[in-house]
Amino acid sequence: GVFAHLERLEAQAREVAVKQEKMKQEEEKRARLKARVRELRLQRDKLLAKVRLQKKQLREKRAMSDPAKSGARAVLEWKIKNIKAMLQVSYLTGINGKRTKQGVCFCISTAYESTYLDSYYVHLLVKPEVQIHQHSVPTFIPLEQIAKQYLQTDIGRFLSVLSDHLNAYAGRKYQADQLQEHFSDQIEGTLQRNSLCNLLVFNYKVSSKSKTFPFNARLLYGDLCCSLPTEVNVSCTPDAPASLAEMAAAHSDLFSRVALHKAFRSFSSDEESMD
Amino acid sequence: MDNSICQVYEDEIQSLEEEIKLLAEKYEDSQQESTFFSDEEILMSIKSFQRESEGHESLSDLITQLESLETDLSFLKKFTGIQFTSHFKEIVEKTTNRTVRKHRLSGNCYSLSFQLEFQLLEMQNKENVSAVVTDLGIIMESGEDSDMSKFVSSTEEHGNLLRFFRSLSSYAEWYEHRRCTFLHFKGKYPDIVTLPEGLLGDYIVLRNPKHSGFELMIVWKIHIDEEGRTTPVLDLLTKVPEQVLEQKMATIENAPTCFRSMLLLFGIETALENLIKVVGLEK
Repeated sequence: GVFAHLERLEAQAREVAVKQEKMKQEEEKRARLKARVRELRLQRDKLLAKVRLQKKQLREKRAMSDPAKSGARAVLEWKIKNIKAMLQVSYLTGINGKRTKQGVCFCISTAYESTYLDSYYVHLLVKPEVQIHQHSVPTFIPLEQIAKQYLQTDIGRFLSVLSDHLNAYAGRKYQADQLQEHFSDQIEGTLQRNSLCNLLVFNYKVSSKSKTFPFNARLLYGDLCCSLPTEVNVSCTPDAPASLAEMAAAHSDLFSRVALHKAFRSFSSDEESMD
Repeated sequence: MDNSICQVYEDEIQSLEEEIKLLAEKYEDSQQESTFFSDEEILMSIKSFQRESEGHESLSDLITQLESLETDLSFLKKFTGIQFTSHFKEIVEKTTNRTVRKHRLSGNCYSLSFQLEFQLLEMQNKENVSAVVTDLGIIMESGEDSDMSKFVSSTEEHGNLLRFFRSLSSYAEWYEHRRCTFLHFKGKYPDIVTLPEGLLGDYIVLRNPKHSGFELMIVWKIHIDEEGRTTPVLDLLTKVPEQVLEQKMATIENAPTCFRSMLLLFGIETALENLIKVVGLEK
Protein backbone atom coordinates (compact mmCIF):
# COMPACT_ATOMS: atom_id res chain seq x y z
CA GLY A 1 0.00 0.00 0.00
CA VAL A 2 2.49 2.61 1.14
CA PHE A 3 5.14 1.68 -1.40
CA ALA A 4 2.62 1.57 -4.23
CA HIS A 5 1.39 4.97 -3.12
CA LEU A 6 4.97 6.30 -3.00
CA GLU A 7 5.62 4.87 -6.47
CA ARG A 8 2.54 6.62 -7.81
CA LEU A 9 3.63 9.90 -6.29
CA GLU A 10 7.11 9.44 -7.78
CA ALA A 11 5.62 8.73 -11.22
CA GLN A 12 3.41 11.79 -10.95
CA ALA A 13 6.38 13.93 -9.90
CA ARG A 14 8.36 12.66 -12.90
CA GLU A 15 5.47 13.40 -15.26
CA VAL A 16 5.20 16.91 -13.89
CA ALA A 17 8.97 17.40 -14.24
CA VAL A 18 8.87 16.18 -17.86
CA LYS A 19 5.94 18.47 -18.63
CA GLN A 20 7.66 21.42 -17.01
CA GLU A 21 10.88 20.67 -18.95
CA LYS A 22 8.87 20.48 -22.19
CA MET A 23 7.13 23.77 -21.48
CA LYS A 24 10.43 25.38 -20.58
CA GLN A 25 11.96 24.22 -23.88
CA GLU A 26 8.99 25.48 -25.86
CA GLU A 27 9.19 28.83 -24.13
CA GLU A 28 12.89 29.02 -24.83
CA LYS A 29 12.25 28.16 -28.48
CA ARG A 30 9.57 30.84 -28.76
CA ALA A 31 11.86 33.38 -27.09
CA ARG A 32 14.70 32.46 -29.46
CA LEU A 33 12.51 32.79 -32.52
CA LYS A 34 11.09 36.07 -31.28
CA ALA A 35 14.60 37.42 -30.70
CA ARG A 36 15.67 36.23 -34.15
CA VAL A 37 12.69 37.97 -35.75
CA ARG A 38 13.57 41.19 -33.94
CA GLU A 39 17.23 40.87 -34.97
CA LEU A 40 16.31 40.27 -38.64
CA ARG A 41 13.79 43.10 -38.64
CA LEU A 42 16.50 45.43 -37.38
CA GLN A 43 18.91 44.21 -40.03
CA ARG A 44 16.29 44.59 -42.73
CA ASP A 45 15.36 48.10 -41.61
CA LYS A 46 19.01 49.13 -41.60
CA LEU A 47 19.45 47.81 -45.14
CA LEU A 48 16.26 49.49 -46.28
CA ALA A 49 17.48 52.81 -44.91
CA LYS A 50 20.86 52.25 -46.56
CA VAL A 51 19.23 51.54 -49.97
CA ARG A 52 16.98 54.60 -49.66
CA LEU A 53 19.90 56.84 -48.75
CA GLN A 54 21.85 55.45 -51.67
CA LYS A 55 18.97 56.24 -54.06
CA LYS A 56 18.82 59.80 -52.75
CA GLN A 57 22.58 60.27 -53.07
CA LEU A 58 22.60 58.91 -56.60
CA ARG A 59 19.79 61.23 -57.64
CA GLU A 60 21.66 64.20 -56.25
CA LYS A 61 25.15 63.36 -57.41
CA ARG A 62 24.55 61.92 -60.89
CA ALA A 63 28.26 62.07 -61.57
CA MET A 64 30.78 59.48 -62.66
CA SER A 65 33.18 58.45 -59.98
CA ASP A 66 36.63 59.93 -59.87
CA PRO A 67 39.14 57.11 -59.90
CA ALA A 68 41.69 59.20 -58.00
CA LYS A 69 39.22 59.53 -55.14
CA SER A 70 38.18 55.91 -55.13
CA GLY A 71 41.67 54.54 -55.01
CA ALA A 72 43.19 51.84 -57.15
CA ARG A 73 41.82 49.01 -55.02
CA ALA A 74 38.21 50.13 -55.44
CA VAL A 75 38.66 50.50 -59.18
CA LEU A 76 40.04 46.99 -59.53
CA GLU A 77 37.36 45.52 -57.31
CA TRP A 78 34.73 47.23 -59.44
CA LYS A 79 36.18 45.79 -62.63
CA ILE A 80 36.44 42.32 -61.09
CA LYS A 81 32.77 42.41 -60.07
CA ASN A 82 31.84 43.62 -63.54
CA ILE A 83 33.62 40.78 -65.32
CA LYS A 84 32.35 38.17 -62.86
CA ALA A 85 28.79 39.25 -63.61
CA MET A 86 29.39 38.91 -67.35
CA LEU A 87 30.87 35.46 -66.88
CA GLN A 88 27.87 34.41 -64.83
CA VAL A 89 25.52 34.99 -67.76
CA SER A 90 27.86 33.72 -70.44
CA TYR A 91 26.14 30.31 -70.37
CA LEU A 92 23.28 32.03 -72.21
CA THR A 93 25.39 32.01 -75.38
CA GLY A 94 25.25 28.23 -75.56
CA ILE A 95 28.94 27.45 -75.61
CA ASN A 96 31.15 28.37 -72.70
CA GLY A 97 34.74 27.39 -72.03
CA LYS A 98 37.25 27.59 -69.24
CA ARG A 99 40.88 26.68 -69.27
CA THR A 100 41.99 23.99 -66.87
CA LYS A 101 45.43 22.70 -65.93
CA GLN A 102 45.15 19.87 -68.44
CA GLY A 103 43.29 21.60 -71.24
CA VAL A 104 39.90 23.17 -71.69
CA CYS A 105 36.51 22.40 -70.20
CA PHE A 106 33.57 23.34 -72.41
CA CYS A 107 30.00 23.67 -71.23
CA ILE A 108 27.25 23.35 -73.81
CA SER A 109 23.86 24.74 -72.79
CA THR A 110 20.60 23.60 -74.32
CA ALA A 111 17.33 25.46 -74.52
CA TYR A 112 13.87 25.20 -76.01
CA GLU A 113 12.75 28.67 -77.04
CA SER A 114 12.94 30.76 -73.89
CA THR A 115 13.59 27.94 -71.44
CA TYR A 116 17.15 26.88 -70.74
CA LEU A 117 17.37 23.16 -70.09
CA ASP A 118 20.23 20.85 -69.12
CA SER A 119 23.85 21.66 -69.86
CA TYR A 120 26.59 19.20 -70.72
CA TYR A 121 30.31 19.48 -70.33
CA VAL A 122 33.22 18.19 -72.41
CA HIS A 123 36.70 18.32 -70.96
CA LEU A 124 39.37 18.34 -73.65
CA LEU A 125 43.06 17.63 -73.31
CA VAL A 126 45.30 19.46 -75.74
CA LYS A 127 48.56 17.52 -75.40
CA PRO A 128 49.87 15.40 -77.11
CA GLU A 129 46.86 15.90 -79.37
CA VAL A 130 43.31 17.10 -78.86
CA GLN A 131 41.27 14.39 -77.16
CA ILE A 132 38.28 14.05 -74.91
CA HIS A 133 39.23 13.52 -71.29
CA GLN A 134 35.83 13.49 -69.62
CA HIS A 135 32.31 14.40 -70.60
CA SER A 136 28.70 14.30 -69.47
CA VAL A 137 27.20 13.76 -72.91
CA PRO A 138 24.60 10.94 -72.91
CA THR A 139 25.66 7.74 -74.66
CA PHE A 140 22.98 7.94 -77.34
CA ILE A 141 24.48 11.15 -78.74
CA PRO A 142 27.09 10.17 -81.40
CA LEU A 143 29.97 11.94 -79.64
CA GLU A 144 32.77 9.72 -80.99
CA GLN A 145 31.51 10.15 -84.55
CA ILE A 146 31.40 13.93 -84.24
CA ALA A 147 34.82 13.99 -82.55
CA LYS A 148 36.33 11.80 -85.27
CA GLN A 149 35.07 14.15 -87.96
CA TYR A 150 35.94 17.54 -86.47
CA LEU A 151 37.91 17.45 -83.26
CA GLN A 152 41.41 17.39 -84.77
CA THR A 153 40.80 20.00 -87.46
CA ASP A 154 38.30 22.48 -86.07
CA ILE A 155 37.32 22.51 -82.40
CA GLY A 156 34.79 25.28 -83.03
CA ARG A 157 32.99 23.11 -85.56
CA PHE A 158 33.12 20.12 -83.24
CA LEU A 159 31.41 22.18 -80.52
CA SER A 160 28.90 23.64 -82.95
CA VAL A 161 27.82 20.24 -84.31
CA LEU A 162 27.70 18.74 -80.83
CA SER A 163 25.60 21.69 -79.68
CA ASP A 164 23.19 21.13 -82.61
CA HIS A 165 22.75 17.46 -81.63
CA LEU A 166 22.29 18.21 -77.94
CA ASN A 167 19.88 21.07 -78.52
CA ALA A 168 17.77 19.03 -80.94
CA TYR A 169 17.65 16.17 -78.43
CA ALA A 170 16.73 18.60 -75.64
CA GLY A 171 13.98 20.08 -77.85
CA ARG A 172 12.49 16.67 -78.65
CA LYS A 173 12.64 15.62 -75.01
CA TYR A 174 11.03 18.89 -73.94
CA GLN A 175 8.12 18.39 -76.33
CA ALA A 176 7.52 14.83 -75.13
CA ASP A 177 7.79 15.90 -71.47
CA GLN A 178 5.37 18.78 -72.04
CA LEU A 179 2.94 16.41 -73.70
CA GLN A 180 3.04 14.02 -70.75
CA GLU A 181 2.82 16.81 -68.21
CA HIS A 182 0.09 19.01 -69.68
CA PHE A 183 -1.93 16.78 -71.97
CA SER A 184 -1.96 13.50 -70.04
CA ASP A 185 -5.76 13.42 -70.13
CA GLN A 186 -5.64 13.18 -73.91
CA ILE A 187 -3.00 10.46 -73.99
CA GLU A 188 -4.31 6.90 -73.73
CA GLY A 189 -1.89 4.58 -72.02
CA THR A 190 1.81 5.43 -71.95
CA LEU A 191 3.80 7.55 -74.34
CA GLN A 192 6.48 5.29 -75.75
CA ARG A 193 9.80 6.88 -76.51
CA ASN A 194 13.42 5.87 -76.89
CA SER A 195 16.25 7.52 -74.94
CA LEU A 196 17.25 9.66 -77.91
CA CYS A 197 13.61 10.84 -78.09
CA ASN A 198 13.61 10.45 -81.84
CA LEU A 199 10.87 7.85 -81.97
CA LEU A 200 7.56 8.52 -80.28
CA VAL A 201 4.53 6.24 -80.36
CA PHE A 202 1.34 7.01 -78.50
CA ASN A 203 -2.43 6.77 -78.56
CA TYR A 204 -4.35 9.98 -78.09
CA LYS A 205 -7.88 11.26 -78.34
CA VAL A 206 -9.38 14.51 -79.45
CA SER A 207 -12.83 15.57 -78.31
CA SER A 208 -15.28 17.85 -79.99
CA LYS A 209 -18.98 18.30 -79.34
CA SER A 210 -18.75 15.79 -76.47
CA LYS A 211 -17.55 13.01 -78.80
CA THR A 212 -14.06 11.59 -78.59
CA PHE A 213 -11.97 10.47 -81.52
CA PRO A 214 -9.12 8.03 -80.89
CA PHE A 215 -5.90 8.10 -82.88
CA ASN A 216 -2.54 6.43 -82.89
CA ALA A 217 0.55 8.50 -83.71
CA ARG A 218 4.04 7.45 -84.65
CA LEU A 219 6.65 10.17 -85.02
CA LEU A 220 10.12 9.48 -86.35
CA TYR A 221 12.75 12.21 -86.11
CA GLY A 222 15.19 11.16 -88.82
CA ASP A 223 17.34 14.27 -88.60
CA LEU A 224 19.15 14.15 -85.27
CA CYS A 225 19.87 17.87 -85.46
CA CYS A 226 16.21 18.73 -85.81
CA SER A 227 13.41 18.84 -83.26
CA LEU A 228 10.64 18.31 -85.82
CA PRO A 229 9.83 14.82 -87.12
CA THR A 230 10.74 13.67 -90.62
CA GLU A 231 8.07 10.96 -90.74
CA VAL A 232 4.63 11.13 -89.16
CA ASN A 233 1.99 8.43 -89.18
CA VAL A 234 -1.38 9.17 -87.66
CA SER A 235 -3.92 6.41 -87.93
CA CYS A 236 -7.37 5.67 -86.65
CA THR A 237 -9.21 2.37 -86.23
CA PRO A 238 -9.89 0.57 -89.56
CA ASP A 239 -13.67 0.85 -89.18
CA ALA A 240 -13.58 4.58 -88.55
CA PRO A 241 -15.59 6.99 -90.74
CA ALA A 242 -13.94 8.95 -93.56
CA SER A 243 -14.13 12.22 -91.65
CA LEU A 244 -11.88 10.69 -89.02
CA ALA A 245 -9.38 9.67 -91.67
CA GLU A 246 -9.37 13.27 -92.87
CA MET A 247 -8.69 14.42 -89.32
CA ALA A 248 -5.83 11.94 -89.07
CA ALA A 249 -4.28 13.33 -92.24
CA ALA A 250 -4.64 16.89 -90.93
CA HIS A 251 -3.01 15.92 -87.64
CA SER A 252 -0.22 14.17 -89.49
CA ASP A 253 0.51 17.35 -91.39
CA LEU A 254 0.30 19.43 -88.22
CA PHE A 255 2.73 17.24 -86.27
CA SER A 256 5.32 17.51 -89.02
CA ARG A 257 5.24 21.31 -89.00
CA VAL A 258 4.46 22.32 -85.43
CA ALA A 259 6.01 21.34 -82.10
CA LEU A 260 4.08 18.50 -80.46
CA HIS A 261 2.91 20.33 -77.33
CA LYS A 262 1.89 23.37 -79.38
CA ALA A 263 -0.10 21.12 -81.70
CA PHE A 264 -1.97 19.66 -78.73
CA ARG A 265 -2.54 23.15 -77.35
CA SER A 266 -4.22 24.06 -80.63
CA PHE A 267 -6.52 20.99 -80.25
CA SER A 268 -7.75 22.23 -76.88
CA SER A 269 -8.33 25.73 -78.17
CA ASP A 270 -10.13 24.30 -81.20
CA GLU A 271 -12.37 22.34 -78.89
CA GLU A 272 -13.13 25.43 -76.84
CA SER A 273 -13.93 27.46 -79.91
CA MET A 274 -16.19 24.72 -81.22
CA ASP A 275 -18.22 24.47 -78.00
CA MET B 1 -1.37 26.56 -30.30
CA ASP B 2 2.29 26.88 -29.38
CA ASN B 3 3.23 25.27 -32.66
CA SER B 4 1.30 27.82 -34.66
CA ILE B 5 3.04 30.75 -32.98
CA CYS B 6 6.41 29.15 -33.73
CA GLN B 7 5.28 28.59 -37.31
CA VAL B 8 4.34 32.27 -37.66
CA TYR B 9 7.76 33.29 -36.33
CA GLU B 10 9.50 30.82 -38.67
CA ASP B 11 7.57 32.09 -41.68
CA GLU B 12 8.47 35.65 -40.84
CA ILE B 13 12.10 34.66 -40.36
CA GLN B 14 12.18 33.11 -43.82
CA SER B 15 10.55 36.11 -45.47
CA LEU B 16 12.89 38.51 -43.65
CA GLU B 17 15.95 36.50 -44.70
CA GLU B 18 14.80 36.62 -48.32
CA GLU B 19 14.11 40.33 -48.11
CA ILE B 20 17.54 40.94 -46.62
CA LYS B 21 19.21 39.01 -49.45
CA LEU B 22 17.22 41.03 -51.98
CA LEU B 23 18.07 44.37 -50.40
CA ALA B 24 21.74 43.45 -50.08
CA GLU B 25 21.92 42.54 -53.77
CA LYS B 26 20.00 45.72 -54.72
CA TYR B 27 22.52 47.79 -52.79
CA GLU B 28 25.46 45.99 -54.42
CA ASP B 29 23.92 46.42 -57.89
CA SER B 30 23.36 50.15 -57.39
CA GLN B 31 26.88 50.65 -56.06
CA GLN B 32 28.23 48.82 -59.07
CA GLU B 33 26.06 50.62 -61.62
CA SER B 34 26.56 54.11 -60.19
CA THR B 35 30.24 53.78 -60.95
CA PHE B 36 31.91 53.44 -64.23
CA PHE B 37 35.60 53.22 -64.93
CA SER B 38 36.93 53.27 -68.46
CA ASP B 39 39.60 50.87 -69.62
CA GLU B 40 42.28 53.59 -69.42
CA GLU B 41 41.34 54.38 -65.85
CA ILE B 42 41.55 50.71 -65.00
CA LEU B 43 44.98 50.38 -66.60
CA MET B 44 46.21 53.41 -64.66
CA SER B 45 44.89 51.90 -61.45
CA ILE B 46 46.67 48.64 -62.17
CA LYS B 47 49.95 50.48 -62.71
CA SER B 48 49.64 52.52 -59.55
CA PHE B 49 48.51 49.44 -57.69
CA GLN B 50 51.55 47.51 -58.80
CA ARG B 51 53.76 50.27 -57.49
CA GLU B 52 51.92 50.33 -54.16
CA SER B 53 51.76 46.58 -53.76
CA GLU B 54 55.47 45.98 -54.10
CA GLY B 55 56.02 43.42 -51.40
CA HIS B 56 52.35 43.06 -50.45
CA GLU B 57 51.33 39.69 -51.81
CA SER B 58 47.68 39.88 -50.87
CA LEU B 59 47.16 43.09 -52.85
CA SER B 60 48.76 41.80 -56.04
CA ASP B 61 46.33 38.85 -55.80
CA LEU B 62 43.69 41.30 -57.01
CA ILE B 63 45.63 41.99 -60.18
CA THR B 64 46.18 38.30 -60.81
CA GLN B 65 42.48 37.67 -60.26
CA LEU B 66 41.55 40.43 -62.70
CA GLU B 67 43.90 39.12 -65.37
CA SER B 68 42.61 35.58 -64.98
CA LEU B 69 38.99 36.75 -65.29
CA GLU B 70 39.78 38.80 -68.37
CA THR B 71 41.43 35.77 -69.96
CA ASP B 72 38.34 33.68 -69.22
CA LEU B 73 36.13 36.32 -70.81
CA SER B 74 38.22 36.62 -73.95
CA PHE B 75 38.38 32.84 -74.14
CA LEU B 76 34.68 32.78 -75.01
CA LYS B 77 35.48 34.78 -78.08
CA LYS B 78 37.76 32.08 -79.47
CA PHE B 79 35.11 29.50 -80.21
CA THR B 80 31.95 31.47 -80.84
CA GLY B 81 33.27 34.89 -81.79
CA ILE B 82 31.05 36.40 -79.10
CA GLN B 83 32.50 39.10 -76.89
CA PHE B 84 30.60 40.99 -74.22
CA THR B 85 31.53 44.64 -73.87
CA SER B 86 29.13 45.87 -71.22
CA HIS B 87 26.65 44.44 -68.76
CA PHE B 88 24.07 45.92 -66.43
CA LYS B 89 21.92 43.90 -64.08
CA GLU B 90 19.15 44.74 -61.66
CA ILE B 91 17.55 42.41 -59.15
CA VAL B 92 13.78 42.35 -59.33
CA GLU B 93 12.77 39.49 -57.08
CA LYS B 94 14.61 37.10 -54.80
CA THR B 95 13.07 34.25 -52.83
CA THR B 96 14.52 30.91 -51.74
CA ASN B 97 13.97 29.19 -55.07
CA ARG B 98 13.22 32.04 -57.46
CA THR B 99 15.46 34.86 -58.61
CA VAL B 100 14.41 37.37 -61.23
CA ARG B 101 16.86 39.87 -62.67
CA LYS B 102 16.78 42.38 -65.49
CA HIS B 103 19.82 42.36 -67.74
CA ARG B 104 21.24 44.66 -70.37
CA LEU B 105 24.06 43.11 -72.31
CA SER B 106 26.06 44.61 -75.16
CA GLY B 107 28.70 42.96 -77.22
CA ASN B 108 29.74 41.88 -80.64
CA CYS B 109 30.18 38.73 -82.65
CA TYR B 110 33.08 39.19 -85.05
CA SER B 111 32.12 42.44 -86.77
CA LEU B 112 28.43 42.51 -85.82
CA SER B 113 27.35 44.43 -82.70
CA PHE B 114 24.30 43.72 -80.62
CA GLN B 115 22.47 45.13 -77.62
CA LEU B 116 20.19 42.93 -75.57
CA GLU B 117 17.64 43.54 -72.88
CA PHE B 118 15.84 40.75 -71.09
CA GLN B 119 14.49 39.47 -67.84
CA LEU B 120 15.90 36.22 -66.53
CA LEU B 121 14.01 34.01 -64.11
CA GLU B 122 16.24 31.46 -62.42
CA MET B 123 14.62 28.67 -60.42
CA GLN B 124 16.26 26.17 -58.15
CA ASN B 125 14.50 22.84 -58.16
CA LYS B 126 15.59 19.49 -56.72
CA GLU B 127 18.34 18.57 -59.19
CA ASN B 128 19.29 21.68 -61.10
CA VAL B 129 18.80 25.32 -61.89
CA SER B 130 16.53 26.23 -64.77
CA ALA B 131 16.35 29.61 -66.44
CA VAL B 132 13.60 31.30 -68.46
CA VAL B 133 14.03 34.40 -70.60
CA THR B 134 11.20 36.93 -70.88
CA ASP B 135 10.76 40.41 -72.37
CA LEU B 136 13.59 39.95 -74.80
CA GLY B 137 14.59 43.01 -76.82
CA ILE B 138 17.35 42.94 -79.42
CA ILE B 139 19.00 45.77 -81.29
CA MET B 140 21.37 44.85 -84.09
CA GLU B 141 23.70 47.40 -85.62
CA SER B 142 22.84 46.17 -89.13
CA GLY B 143 19.22 46.90 -88.37
CA GLU B 144 18.13 47.85 -91.88
CA ASP B 145 18.79 44.40 -93.30
CA SER B 146 15.30 42.95 -93.83
CA ASP B 147 16.47 39.35 -93.34
CA MET B 148 18.00 40.23 -90.01
CA SER B 149 14.95 42.22 -88.89
CA LYS B 150 12.66 39.25 -89.51
CA PHE B 151 14.98 36.95 -87.62
CA VAL B 152 15.23 39.41 -84.74
CA SER B 153 11.44 39.81 -84.53
CA SER B 154 10.89 36.07 -84.49
CA THR B 155 13.57 35.66 -81.82
CA GLU B 156 12.09 38.40 -79.63
CA GLU B 157 8.63 36.87 -79.94
CA HIS B 158 9.69 33.46 -78.69
CA GLY B 159 12.41 34.60 -76.30
CA ASN B 160 14.82 32.40 -78.21
CA LEU B 161 18.02 33.82 -76.76
CA LEU B 162 20.19 30.72 -77.15
CA ARG B 163 19.23 30.30 -80.78
CA PHE B 164 19.97 34.00 -81.31
CA PHE B 165 23.56 33.57 -80.10
CA ARG B 166 24.12 30.34 -82.04
CA SER B 167 22.69 31.78 -85.28
CA LEU B 168 24.50 35.09 -84.87
CA SER B 169 27.73 33.18 -84.44
CA SER B 170 27.43 31.31 -87.73
CA TYR B 171 26.05 34.35 -89.60
CA ALA B 172 28.88 36.60 -88.38
CA GLU B 173 31.40 33.88 -89.18
CA TRP B 174 30.25 33.88 -92.82
CA TYR B 175 30.51 37.68 -92.87
CA GLU B 176 34.04 37.42 -91.56
CA HIS B 177 34.89 34.65 -94.02
CA ARG B 178 33.64 36.79 -96.91
CA ARG B 179 35.59 39.81 -95.67
CA CYS B 180 38.80 37.76 -95.35
CA THR B 181 38.33 36.19 -98.78
CA PHE B 182 37.83 39.59 -100.42
CA LEU B 183 40.84 40.94 -98.57
CA HIS B 184 42.98 37.99 -99.64
CA PHE B 185 42.14 38.32 -103.34
CA LYS B 186 42.43 42.09 -103.32
CA GLY B 187 45.93 41.68 -101.91
CA LYS B 188 46.95 38.91 -104.30
CA TYR B 189 45.56 40.40 -107.54
CA PRO B 190 45.34 44.15 -106.87
CA ASP B 191 45.07 45.06 -110.58
CA ILE B 192 42.20 42.75 -111.37
CA VAL B 193 40.11 42.80 -108.22
CA THR B 194 38.11 45.85 -107.15
CA LEU B 195 35.74 46.27 -104.24
CA PRO B 196 33.34 49.10 -105.09
CA GLU B 197 31.64 48.81 -101.71
CA GLY B 198 34.76 47.96 -99.78
CA LEU B 199 35.56 44.90 -97.72
CA LEU B 200 32.19 44.91 -95.97
CA GLY B 201 30.23 45.09 -99.22
CA ASP B 202 28.65 42.03 -100.75
CA TYR B 203 30.21 42.00 -104.20
CA ILE B 204 33.54 41.94 -105.94
CA VAL B 205 34.34 43.10 -109.48
CA LEU B 206 36.96 41.49 -111.66
CA ARG B 207 38.30 43.31 -114.69
CA ASN B 208 41.36 43.06 -116.84
CA PRO B 209 43.19 46.44 -116.86
CA LYS B 210 43.91 46.03 -120.60
CA HIS B 211 40.34 45.21 -121.65
CA SER B 212 38.22 47.59 -119.63
CA GLY B 213 34.93 46.68 -121.32
CA PHE B 214 34.85 43.20 -119.91
CA GLU B 215 33.86 42.74 -116.27
CA LEU B 216 32.81 39.94 -114.03
CA MET B 217 30.83 40.72 -110.91
CA ILE B 218 30.50 38.11 -108.20
CA VAL B 219 27.76 38.80 -105.73
CA TRP B 220 28.07 36.99 -102.42
CA LYS B 221 24.99 37.44 -100.29
CA ILE B 222 24.58 35.99 -96.85
CA HIS B 223 20.98 35.19 -96.00
CA ILE B 224 19.52 34.38 -92.62
CA ASP B 225 16.01 32.95 -92.32
CA GLU B 226 13.52 33.37 -89.49
CA GLU B 227 14.80 30.27 -87.75
CA GLY B 228 18.34 31.61 -87.82
CA ARG B 229 19.75 29.34 -90.51
CA THR B 230 22.50 31.04 -92.52
CA THR B 231 22.87 30.42 -96.24
CA PRO B 232 25.51 32.02 -98.44
CA VAL B 233 24.37 32.63 -102.01
CA LEU B 234 26.87 33.43 -104.73
CA ASP B 235 26.04 34.63 -108.22
CA LEU B 236 28.03 35.64 -111.26
CA LEU B 237 27.09 38.65 -113.37
CA THR B 238 28.84 39.49 -116.57
CA LYS B 239 29.39 42.80 -118.28
CA VAL B 240 30.58 42.27 -121.81
CA PRO B 241 31.14 44.69 -124.74
CA GLU B 242 28.73 44.17 -127.62
CA GLN B 243 31.19 42.77 -130.17
CA VAL B 244 32.31 40.03 -127.80
CA LEU B 245 28.72 39.32 -126.86
CA GLU B 246 27.75 38.57 -130.45
CA GLN B 247 30.64 36.17 -130.87
CA LYS B 248 30.52 34.35 -127.60
CA MET B 249 26.85 34.54 -126.63
CA ALA B 250 26.59 30.92 -125.54
CA THR B 251 29.67 30.99 -123.34
CA ILE B 252 28.58 34.22 -121.70
CA GLU B 253 25.07 32.91 -121.10
CA ASN B 254 26.42 29.74 -119.57
CA ALA B 255 28.84 31.55 -117.34
CA PRO B 256 26.60 31.82 -114.26
CA THR B 257 25.72 28.11 -114.41
CA CYS B 258 29.37 27.15 -114.87
CA PHE B 259 30.22 29.30 -111.90
CA ARG B 260 27.69 27.50 -109.74
CA SER B 261 29.10 24.13 -110.74
CA MET B 262 32.58 25.35 -109.96
CA LEU B 263 31.41 26.45 -106.54
CA LEU B 264 30.00 23.03 -105.82
CA LEU B 265 33.05 21.20 -107.07
CA PHE B 266 35.88 23.34 -105.81
CA GLY B 267 34.49 25.62 -103.15
CA ILE B 268 34.37 29.39 -103.05
CA GLU B 269 38.05 30.29 -102.91
CA THR B 270 39.14 28.06 -105.79
CA ALA B 271 36.17 29.07 -107.95
CA LEU B 272 36.95 32.75 -107.41
CA GLU B 273 40.63 32.25 -108.06
CA ASN B 274 39.86 30.42 -111.33
CA LEU B 275 37.68 33.32 -112.47
CA ILE B 276 40.35 35.84 -111.57
CA LYS B 277 42.92 33.91 -113.55
CA VAL B 278 40.56 33.72 -116.52
CA VAL B 279 39.97 37.48 -116.46
CA GLY B 280 43.69 38.05 -116.16
CA LEU B 281 44.40 35.93 -119.25
CA GLU B 282 41.73 37.37 -121.56
CA LYS B 283 43.21 38.32 -124.93
